[in-house]
This record gives sequence, C-alpha cells and structure tokens, in this order.
Amino acid sequence: MAEIIIDDKKFEFEEVGKVLQFILDNGMDLPFFCYHPSLSIPANCRQCFIEAGQMVKDRESGEYELDEDGNPVIRWFPKLMTACSLDMADGMVIKTHVTSEKVKVAQADTLELILINHPLDCPICDQAGECPLQIQTYKYGPEGSRFEHKKVHKPKRIQLGPRVILDAERCINCTRCVRFTDEVSKTHQLSIVSRGDKNYPITAEGQVFDDPYSLNTVDICPVGALTSADFRFKARVWEMNQTPSIDVTNGKGVNIDLWTRDNLVMRITPRFNKEVNDHWMPDIGREAYRLFNENRVSKPIIKLDGDQVRSSWNNAFMTVSEKISSVKSDEILLIGSPYASLEDNYAFQNWFNRLGVSDVYFTPHIEKGYGDDLLLVDDHAPNTNGCKALGFKEVDAKKMAKLLSDESYKAVFILGDDLLSRVDIDDSALESKYLVSFATNHTETTKKSDLVIPITSSAEHIGSYINVDERIQRTIPAKETMYTNRKLDLEMSMGRLDHFGTKFDNWVSDKNRVDCIPAWEVLVRIGNEMNLEFNFASPQDVLEDITDKIPALENVSYDRMDKENGIALKLSAPKSVTT
Amino acid sequence: MNIDWKNYKPILIPAIKDLHKIDVYEKNGGYKALKKVLSGKSKMTPEEVVNEVKDANIRGRGGAGFNAGLKWSFMPKPDGGPRYLACNGDESEPGTFKDRKIFEYNPHSFIEGAIIAAYAMQIQTIYVYIRGEYRDFIDMMDVAISDAYKKGYLGKDILKSGFSVDMYTHMGAGAYICGEESSLMNSLEGKRGYPRVKPPFPAQKGLWGRPTTINNIETLANVPLVINNGAKWFKGIGAETHPGPVLYGISGHVNRPGVYEYPTGMLLTDLINEVAGGVPGGKKVKAVVPGGSSTPPLRGDSLDGVRMDADSLREAGSMMGTAGICVVDETVDMVDFTWRISGFYHHESCGQCTPCRDGTGWLEKTLDKIRRGDGEMRDIDLLYEICTKMEGRTICALADAAAWPVRYALDRFREDFEARCKKTVYALA
Ligand SMILES: Cc1cc2nc3c(=O)[nH]c(=O)nc-3n(C[C@H](O)[C@H](O)[C@H](O)COP(=O)(O)O)c2cc1C
Ligand code: SF4
Ligand code: SF4
Ligand code: FES
Repeated sequence: MAEIIIDDKKFEFEEVGKVLQFILDNGMDLPFFCYHPSLSIPANCRQCFIEAGQMVKDRESGEYELDEDGNPVIRWFPKLMTACSLDMADGMVIKTHVTSEKVKVAQADTLELILINHPLDCPICDQAGECPLQIQTYKYGPEGSRFEHKKVHKPKRIQLGPRVILDAERCINCTRCVRFTDEVSKTHQLSIVSRGDKNYPITAEGQVFDDPYSLNTVDICPVGALTSADFRFKARVWEMNQTPSIDVTNGKGVNIDLWTRDNLVMRITPRFNKEVNDHWMPDIGREAYRLFNENRVSKPIIKLDGDQVRSSWNNAFMTVSEKISSVKSDEILLIGSPYASLEDNYAFQNWFNRLGVSDVYFTPHIEKGYGDDLLLVDDHAPNTNGCKALGFKEVDAKKMAKLLSDESYKAVFILGDDLLSRVDIDDSALESKYLVSFATNHTETTKKSDLVIPITSSAEHIGSYINVDERIQRTIPAKETMYTNRKLDLEMSMGRLDHFGTKFDNWVSDKNRVDCIPAWEVLVRIGNEMNLEFNFASPQDVLEDITDKIPALENVSYDRMDKENGIALKLSAPKSVTT
Repeated sequence: MNIDWKNYKPILIPAIKDLHKIDVYEKNGGYKALKKVLSGKSKMTPEEVVNEVKDANIRGRGGAGFNAGLKWSFMPKPDGGPRYLACNGDESEPGTFKDRKIFEYNPHSFIEGAIIAAYAMQIQTIYVYIRGEYRDFIDMMDVAISDAYKKGYLGKDILKSGFSVDMYTHMGAGAYICGEESSLMNSLEGKRGYPRVKPPFPAQKGLWGRPTTINNIETLANVPLVINNGAKWFKGIGAETHPGPVLYGISGHVNRPGVYEYPTGMLLTDLINEVAGGVPGGKKVKAVVPGGSSTPPLRGDSLDGVRMDADSLREAGSMMGTAGICVVDETVDMVDFTWRISGFYHHESCGQCTPCRDGTGWLEKTLDKIRRGDGEMRDIDLLYEICTKMEGRTICALADAAAWPVRYALDRFREDFEARCKKTVYALA
C-alpha cells in the first residue's frame, strides 16, 4: 500500500487525497481558513503551510535510496507548500509545525499578517467563541502585533440580504462565501469586489442576497464578517448548549444542532451528514427555532360552553377516558401524523388497537413544486415514510375531508398535526363530533378542538423520523419541559449555566419550560386511568416493540442511529403490521 | 562578447513608413513565414515549427524568460476539443512600454507570429488580451486583424492549407494582475482576475479547462523572423544563451527616453550613456532597475560590464524581466523611490493571498513612515521581515515582485534608509 510520512510517523493510504484532509482525518492538527471539504480549493489564505518532500527511489531496484547514515534520501520542494492543495503521493514526506521550525514560523507569519487589518473587536463579535481565527491565533499565532499604522477601513453593518449582515473589516477574504454561492447554492449572488487589502464580498449593485441557503455562508465564514441578522447579539456561544437533532420542517430530514439557552432554542445550524445534507441546510429550516419557543400549547385545553379554557392534566385524562367509554370502537376516527415521531405514531396506533380500533389514517403534507434540487423536498413533513411503515392508511386532503364529515364517527383523535389547515372542511361538519388533538403549538386544528393535549416537540423528546429517502434518524431532548431535568436525563447536554446556574439566576428560570408530555406517555397515563395493559416506560421501549414487529425496521436502535448517523432502510419490503 | 550595435538595423520594428498597413507589410516580406509554413514545397509540420522555435531559444519577453518553443511543446496531443493561444498584451508593469510599439508600428509581425504559433500547437482560437488603457492600439489591432481576415491569413482554410484559426482582441479593465497568465485566463473567461493555483498548468487545464499557451506579444513577434531566417541565424543575434532582438524601454533620468531595438546582451552602460543619451545635467547614475519595477535595482556604481541578458543580470543580482530599464540619478532618495514602487504593488495586489494582500500594504505604510521622517532603525529590520513573510509564499509572483525591490533597495542603498531613521539613534553619552 502507498505510504506517507508525516512528522516522522508512517501512514498507509489507498485513496489519493489532499494532504490537509488526510492530516485532519488522522486526528492531527493543522491551521487553515480557506479550505472547506465541500468546496473547491483556492489555497488563498496561505495558513496551512507544511514542508513537503519525496523520498528518492532508485530507478533500477525500485527501492528508496539511502544516504551514508542509512536514512532515506528526500528531495524537498524548494518552497513551503499549502497542504490543502497538495496531492498525496507514495513516498511523500511531510513536516508540519510539530517537526519544522520553518513551518511554525510561517504559520505565525500568516496569522500576524491576517491580523494587521483585522479590527480585533472580539468582545462585541458574534463569532467569538467559535471563531477559527481566534482559535488558530491562540494556538499558532504571534504574541502580539508589530503593526503600528492605520488599519484599512471598510464597510460595516451592511445588510446583504434579509438574513445576512456583513462586516467587511472582519473579512479575511477566504472566499468561502463566494464559492458557496457559486458551487453549492448556485445563485452566484456574492462576489469579491475591489483589490488587495480593500477587497470584500458583496452582491452586485442593487441585488439582494436572498439566496434560500444564504445562512450557510454565516456558518462557514471563518470570522464574524458574516452574521445572522436574526441571531446576532442574542447569545454568546459559550452560554448555549448544542444538541444534535433533525430538522422537522421538511421531509429531507436535514441533520441539525439545536442551540439552547435557558430552555429556549436560540438558533439552528446544520450538522454534517454526508448521506443527507453534507454541511448545509436551507434558511427556512433555521427559522423553525421559533416553533419550539413560541405559541406553544402549555397545559391541556378543554372546551367549556364553547370557550377553550385551561384544564388540569387529571381532568383532561378523565375526559378522554370517559369520552372513549361512551362511544363504540367503530365510532372513533384515528388520524396519525407525518409530523409526529415514529414512536408517538406507533403508540397511538397500538393504544387504540387495544380498544379495537384498527385503522389509522393520515394525510401527507406535500406541496408540488416546493422542493428544489438541493435540500428542500416537496414533502413538508419529516415522517411521512414513518406513517407508511406503520401501515397507516394514506388519504389525500379531499378524502380526509370526507372522513371527517362522516356522520358515523363520534370521536376524532388527531396526533401532532395541524391537519385542519390543509383539509378543507366546514366547521359545521365537525360539530357533531368530539375532537381531541395532541399538539405542540396552537394551530387551526387546536382552535377547533374540544380537547387539546400538549405534547413535546422534537426539541424536547427522543423520537425517530424516517425521511423521504427512507433514512431513519432520531432527535435528542435539547429543552427541558416542566417534567424533565437536565441533571437527571443523561442524554441532555449540559452547559456552563446548567452546571452553575441557580434558581434565582435569570438564565436558568422556569418560565421557558413548557407544560407538556410526550404523546406516548400521555397514552400510558390515560391507559392507567382505563386499566389498559399499555406499559411503555420510555421511547426506547416503544422503539423496541416497533423493531420486533416491523421487519423493515429490524435491528434499528438509537445506538445504531447515533453511531451510523442514521440508518438507510428498505421500506419497500412487504409491510405486515399486526399488533 | 562584442556587439556591433552601432550598425544594428531593427528587424522587429524596422524603420518602414506605414508598416502597420497590411499591403506595406506584405510588400516588405510580410506573411512570407506563414506561407512558408503552410504551403508549397517548404511546408512544415507543426512539430517542425515547434522544434525550430525551440531551437532558436526565443526567451519569453513577458518577464520570465522561458524558451517559447519549449513551452509550446508542453501542449498535449490534440483530442478534437478546443485549444487556445492567449497573447499577453496587458503590459502594466511600471517601466514597461514596448508591446505598444508593436501594436502601433508592426502589428502584423505579431499577428503572423501568433498564427504560426497556433498552427504549431494545433490551436483554433487566439485571444489577444490588451490593457484597457491602450484604447487606440486596440482599435488599430482590430483593423489589422480584420485586414488579415480579408487577405485570408485568418479564418477558415488559411492559404488552402486546411488549417483554420480565429483571432479576437479582448480589452483589460485596468488591473496589473491580469497580466499574470492564469489571472489573464480568468479575466478572459469573464471572471474576477484572480491568479490560479498551479498545478494544473495552463497547457493541461487553461482557458475553460482546455489546453492553453500564453505568450507575450513581443515573444510572438519574433516567430516570423525565426521561420524566415532559421534558428541558427536567430541564435547568432546578441547573447548566446538569450539571443535575439529586444525592445529596450528606457525611462527615468536619461536625455532620450524611449523604446530602442537592439540585440540582447547590450552593455547597460552603452544603453544608458550612448543609446539614451546619458543622464541630464551630467549627473551620476544612482540606481538602475533593469527589467521593469519588480526586478531588483542595481547600484549605479556597479554597472560596469553588466549586460542585458539573463545570465549577466543574474550575476549582477537582478533579472532581465521585460527589459524596461529605469534610470535613477543621484538626486533621488531611494526611500522615496522604493515607497513609490511599493505603493504600486499595494494597489495592484489582487488580494487573494494573505501575505501579499496584507504584506504589500504593510511595506508601503512602513516605507511611508520612514519617508516622512518618523522611521526608526527597527523599521529597517521589520521591512526585511515582511519581505521574508511574503517571498515564495503566494499563489502568483506578484508578492515576490513587491518584496524584491524593497529587499534589494535595503541591501544596496541602506545608507538612504538609515539616514531617514536617524531619529532613534542616540549618541552614547
Ligand atoms: C504580476 C504579474 C504581472 C504580469 N504582467 C505581464 C504583462 O503585463 N505582460 C506579459 O507579457 N507578461 C506578464 N506577466 C508574465 C506572464 O505571467 C507570463 O509569464 C508571460 O505572459 C508569458 O509569456 P512569455 O513566455 O512569452 O514571456 C506577469 C506576471 C506577473 C506575476
Ligand atoms: S465574508 Fe467570511 S467567508 Fe466571505 S470571504 Fe470574508 S471571511 Fe471568507
Ligand atoms: S500573490 Fe498577490 S497578486 Fe498574486 S495571487 Fe496572491 S494576492 Fe493575488
Ligand atoms: S487552507 Fe487556505 S491555503 Fe490551505
């Protein structure tokens, strides 16, 4: 196998890649700015310098030549090389800052040069705390600056578009943002203007940076030159907890991180998954952070004399069990949800099965033409395939309207879905029915419901979702509810404030906790009320039951989903759901 | 080496009235080389042309001095797809103003050379990239090209040889960096003029990812001379390792600045004192920049025996560059001179590479500080250090071009810099 020697250590490799990527993949460090694994390589920041050479092979014997001391003869490149653009080769020898003083000096030199025109306004810069320039300077930079002249001034606080703001003085001109709009989103909206130390990226005159993927440039900008108009100045990076999750606003199932502080989701950023979204996500998915914080249903709501009023959980549970006892099983209409997790949908189906209701219907939320050829698909819901895998009956909005107006149904249960906003139906048709909805947010559907049960959102529970490409992925709780606790739930991430905040600390207040319960647990609790044998203790329990029963989901576990970054399923396998 | 320059008759731009007109050019032997290559008994294969030009050792007149024929031989075998020749008439280096003379006085010699080059490399498309400020010459070139089309030297099936090639002019927009060959290609493609990372080299992946060769205008104007008279004849002109005629652009403190055609290998002193008529007022030469602003300045008192060819200039500690000679007399403070050059490179850095983008500005600002009399001795050391941070660490050679004039001015004229930094030198009490 081909060999490469890096800092006196030998590595074997099969595929010829770039030296920098190989160094990073093998757990070593090298400072860099302009390189991005999913973009073209401009080698312009000149930060990733290394010394490179080639061991000399004897033409006849094919063996490496040795010098008098028995060491291989190495032909060094005369200049320092940029590791990001250098192809690996068999017999290559690399020296990084670890073994080369020359490299160490050159890396510090580049940083000193980058910083001479940098405003160094870290204390008020959003990037601080997650800034590659800050990090690399700490690790590899010079002690101070010897630049004693006026810095170059450039435009600041430029609203490039609705979502992105530019501070050109902070820009280090790595061109990542430009390359992103050229190569990934392909809107070509950004370009570098002017020359030398005066240049910076901007749109063409009169053009707005409204690229539907514009916020990715904020993620990949290695400094605080591009910031999010919405997020900036809202939170410092080190105050937030970062929790891996899945985007639930589109069928693609983009992998994300939820950034929370004081039980509010502050922002959403993409999480790398080669199979799903690479490093990117659409802007629209990031706006979903509001869904987790605002307009939440907290505490059950019940209709009394036509008015919706808050109710206790006990009262809500009793009401449901009484209602169910008063109708026959074929008078119950069950509507599952492509928005709810696999676990919740399954628990819903399984619970009512025990009462003799076997059919669960659902209406996908598909908008033809909504998708693009990057990361948005026509399907708005994260788990349409989950409903299919469970054998739910798929009906379109028209058929759903018919079902809802069917006089033979006396009670309707809707799981986690604003169904009524996409099903055209007269209020009068619903009047004769008792409508129970399990919901995270106030919607058209909850407004018309006789009973609303608040359930956890994907930011508060563990749940699996099967995306349009039949990939199952799961969420991890990022926010506490009234009934969960970071310090007890070992899966939840802990931030500085969680460790050290007190009840009286306004960062760790109770006011942002929502009074809600996971849907499967609601069903367990109502089941108890009705002496139903329904004893799941955790989402893990529910998932295990699912994987036992559905062949296509055999061997699926949270562990595997975590380790393998989601699991590709084959749902076309014959479905047989017997519970 | 003895060059009988006093009896030299110009051959690149011979003194013939209205030579820029195609009829006059033809009457004086124009397009004979093209005919020789493409038709009749003398017909040459592309390989034969490449070999002849390689043998003649026309060293690139754009600055780097690379053997043109050798460069042509790097082009891969034709695969049926497009291939390009880009002719570099960006001519923006301070002190360089010679290609304009070809556009103005003998455009067809260049056009003929370019067509022969295209034939030799089996290229169907030629772009002529001309700096935007040369508005008049671009118009003149357009006329010359359209005349060449009319006469059948350009276009389809040239001289019934089956060989076809098109030629287009392209106007620059005021960026020195677009003269760097890979930046020129980006500019031609309609992109920002950022130099490209090499490898891949233009012959592998050039314009629109296709094999491309870039040559300077003057380099190509030499090609018909080689074809008409043979490589051997060409090698007999001027310096042995750097042969041929050269357009010397002499500027600065001389009595008769201008562009002069003479063989390579001329004594610098002859060029300054005889050809350009010496320094006004009989003043002493303080410094000479021999090949455009990026080449290291030589001291006026070290010019004896220095000749204008690559070897001799390397020995003297400089380079041939574009043979744009700038003469500086003793009244000039080299701090001012160096600051002015630094200002140019600061203004023209494309801004891609950190060392160049920020180093050029730091050099200029530090030199300005010294120039204003605020300099300290440590600034001299700092200047050296900034140069070291820039040299050999960038995508293109502009950073080197910016650093060298400073480094060598400090080496060779240190007294000027120290004199301005005296403020921080205290006498021992
Ligand atoms: C910053 C920079 C500017 C340059 N400008 C020019 C120019 O204006 N004209 C030119 O012919 N070559 C210029 N060159 C050199 C070209 O890159 C290239 O070497 C040359 O055009 C090749 O032609 P030749 O081999 O015929 O000399 C420049 C190089 C650099 C690094
Ligand atoms: S704005 Fe950021 S991403 Fe864009 S070029 Fe500047 S530093 Fe790079
Ligand atoms: S060296 Fe200077 S001019 Fe050349 S590519 Fe780098 S920044 Fe641009
Ligand atoms: S990462 Fe920027 S030059 Fe290599």
